Amino acid sequence: MDLIKEDSKSILEQWVNQFSDELYSWAFFKTSSKEVAEDLVQDTFMAAFHKIDSFQGKSQPKTWLFSILNNKVIDYYRLRARTNKKNFSLTENSGYELSDGLFNTYGCWKTNDINAAWDQDQELLDNPEFNSIMENCMDDLPQKWKLAVTSKYLSDKKTETICQELEITASNYWQIVHRSKLLLKKCLELKWV
Amino acid sequence: MNKVMRTLLRPCKKTTELIDKQMFTPLTLKEKLQLQAHKAICGTCNAYEKQSKLLDALIGKWFAIDSNKKMSTLDEDKKNKIIEAIKKI
Repeated sequence: MDLIKEDSKSILEQWVNQFSDELYSWAFFKTSSKEVAEDLVQDTFMAAFHKIDSFQGKSQPKTWLFSILNNKVIDYYRLRARTNKKNFSLTENSGYELSDGLFNTYGCWKTNDINAAWDQDQELLDNPEFNSIMENCMDDLPQKWKLAVTSKYLSDKKTETICQELEITASNYWQIVHRSKLLLKKCLELKWV
Repeated sequence: MNKVMRTLLRPCKKTTELIDKQMFTPLTLKEKLQLQAHKAICGTCNAYEKQSKLLDALIGKWFAIDSNKKMSTLDEDKKNKIIEAIKKI
């Protein structure tokens, strides 16, 4: 019995080396969090070990592992919807509030000064110090917004597919990108001095 | 005349929406006119249009760096931890 267990362990080890990158990048795309994606990949391999008897070589190991991972992703979102729903929508709400806050009640810019940071456009693209500020500002966005803003860079996804995955409508999509840009503008102007 | 002006001249908030909207979907003729009229008199919104384009480039750049760093591969450390965890079962 222990011998079989040891066998499973060495197979699993092989699979970790072979498939964990692909599983991880998929989990990262689905959750847009490094930590969560890492945990889900670990959970996937743990679950695979415990039910390796049910894997009878009918499918490719990769396919089998991906089906486990997909269930883990669904569980993750279910759990979060139950425990954290209020929190999550509040973040999106505060995203709307914060971006509204750039304008006064008449819809005019609160400040008409054009921040000097924007003059260094080419430099901003090359400066490593700026990259870390950009990273902070991206992380401040509501998670769904961050995904909306970046998803157009994920291969050749069409807007429609992106919207389906994020469960938003097309008109909502450009609104979200617009709001995200306002927040990024505000954040960069604050932090990049 | 006043009515025309009111239709044409939208506040900055609405204008920034049009600036970002046009990158996703073609504007209607009315929206195009509103955008042109506003930009003719508002330096801050003109600047926003430039900033918005720069932001696109910055987001793309950030994403390329970020995805290299985070997306394509799982850290070796983490892989080893998973293998360790399996061995311990």
